[in-house]
Amino acid sequence: MNYLSAIDTYEIVDVLDAVHKINASDNFNGFPVQINFLRNFTVEGIEPFLEYHSLSGGLQPSITFGNYDMIRQEIMDSTSHLFHDSPDLVVLAIYFDIYLPDWWKVEWSSDDVMRDLVSIYVELSKKTDAIIALNTFIPSFYPEYGIAGEAERHSSYDETLKLNQLIRKFVSTNSRQFVLIDWERMVRILGENDSMDYRFWYMSKLPFKSKFLSYYAYELTKITRALKGKTKKCLVLDCDNTLWGGIVGEDGIDGINLDPNTYPGNIYFEFQKKILKLYERGVLVILCSKNNEMDVLDVLDNHPHCLLSRSHLSGWKINWDDKATNIKILAQELNLGLDSFVFVDDSQIECELIRKLVPEVQVYQVPQRLYEYPVLLDRDGLFDTLTLSEEDSNRTEMYQVEMLRKNEQAKFESIEQYLETLSISISVHKARASEVPRISQLTQKTNQFNLTTRRYSETQIQEIIASPHAEVLSLSVSDKFGDSGLTGVIIATINEGVATVDTFLMSCRVLGRNIEVSFWLTAMKVLERQWGMCTWESEFIPTTKNQQVRDFWKNLNFTEVSEQQGKVVFEFLRTYSKPDSVPYIEINEE
Amino acid sequence: MQFQENELKAVLAKVFGVSADIITEDTSPDSIEEWDSLRHMNLIIALEEYFHVELTDDQVGEILSYKLIKLVLEENNITLASA
Repeated sequence: MNYLSAIDTYEIVDVLDAVHKINASDNFNGFPVQINFLRNFTVEGIEPFLEYHSLSGGLQPSITFGNYDMIRQEIMDSTSHLFHDSPDLVVLAIYFDIYLPDWWKVEWSSDDVMRDLVSIYVELSKKTDAIIALNTFIPSFYPEYGIAGEAERHSSYDETLKLNQLIRKFVSTNSRQFVLIDWERMVRILGENDSMDYRFWYMSKLPFKSKFLSYYAYELTKITRALKGKTKKCLVLDCDNTLWGGIVGEDGIDGINLDPNTYPGNIYFEFQKKILKLYERGVLVILCSKNNEMDVLDVLDNHPHCLLSRSHLSGWKINWDDKATNIKILAQELNLGLDSFVFVDDSQIECELIRKLVPEVQVYQVPQRLYEYPVLLDRDGLFDTLTLSEEDSNRTEMYQVEMLRKNEQAKFESIEQYLETLSISISVHKARASEVPRISQLTQKTNQFNLTTRRYSETQIQEIIASPHAEVLSLSVSDKFGDSGLTGVIIATINEGVATVDTFLMSCRVLGRNIEVSFWLTAMKVLERQWGMCTWESEFIPTTKNQQVRDFWKNLNFTEVSEQQGKVVFEFLRTYSKPDSVPYIEINEE
Repeated sequence: MQFQENELKAVLAKVFGVSADIITEDTSPDSIEEWDSLRHMNLIIALEEYFHVELTDDQVGEILSYKLIKLVLEENNITLASA
């Protein structure tokens, strides 16, 4: 049995086959991602697996490997190709036996080794803005001193555990650029037999078996997926036999299984715990169930063991309509792409329906072996983001406010009339240091209202802010229903009187209120106060997701200058007249 | 256990990323550029996974042509029927 569904495919012929098929299909259009390895051992075996997981995750990978055991040399070598093809992810892969071949005969200390490792990490971070993946080390499987006990001796096992803890600490305090691939944990999950390839280790310095390599590749893909905005945002759950055992409409609120002290209620209880954890990380939780709304809400409100309550939900569709239609409506209401949805249901028919009619949605069926259910959403890491920002945990609240707004909207005759009553107020200011994580996250996650879809790490945003020739402006929006937080970013550069808009993006949460126009007019004012009157240049770089902003620059009175391979360049001369300001939006600039 | 010879050719074709049509009795690292030391490891793993055999250390070093692969598979009680 394999709990890691993500690496169910690890046999090399199957993996190569799948890679070939995806690459050959006409309609696959993956987001390019550059992954460069710096390593001290033979890690090339990972390539087919990394291609497979990347392609399966909607990414088109390009992978390079630095020279064998030349990590420091490559970092020092300014001509190394490693840094020239501007990687998105640099994987530093260090195998301990090669790094410290004398470990078995000297008394090494984790502190000394860590000092040396940190010097590598720091040098590397000076050379690249890319996200850097580090690994922990694999503690020895068998005790060095036999049953006589290691506790009072200096053991390599002990030092390795301490060293791994130091590496974890380093990553968590430097999470702007570093992420961790925890080999120790991976080996614990897979076991020695499925991880270690002693044959190829002694023959060719390749220490890992296919399962481990596939798992390693999958963990790396979690990072690139988050980096390229492929993270799932919304969890849609069925109710009967999904949130609890049994059918509430037939068994009644007292007859369903959700008791943490009995089987199988304890399984559903455990699953609900996992949902709450995801909710706390900012995942939007939604119910979609063929049921009487009253029955379901009664369980949420009144069942003594139901952990999930109305306040955790960003919405629900509890009715007798087909679920594909319901999900499409939800996507519209929440302004989210269908490919950011994950759907969980116990019924094979419902799962198949969604797979067929809404193939963008990731579908999970409640497993036949019910005891595998609680880890179902943990292992694939589909909701993972690179950093956990404070806004994430507020997100559900903001979407609830969004639903409230939508309901009000229905009461007015014209949209303008409605917007006037909202008391919209925006604040535009130069990005503050504390906003860097959120801004970086917005560049990575925003797909629809994003004119250029340029993804930036936190380090890169900091560099832009520090540059004398560039500015980052952030937008916050509030109205009578609540505060939407930081929901828009403009990045512009200046060069001899010509200002270029590098990035213009807004979160879907604040669309449909002409806020983008006010944001632009205010940004222009703020920047021209600093740079003087400018000629403005801007671009639209099309993706499959941002068609709604194709005419955005034209609507702001820009004229089209050129079009090349879909990318359109616009300009706004000093003589052009600005678009009208939006009367019902109050502007605060700082 | 019995397999079709085409299956063996397909395994090689996938591992080396070439068309199965170009694989003959004499195919070896000399005739296929893609057959380097790294892909040789993939070939070993692929053969073991596909045919459910475990090659000995000697066999791992020996199988440097299509003919030799067939021989080694036979030593492991795999017969290959030609189509």
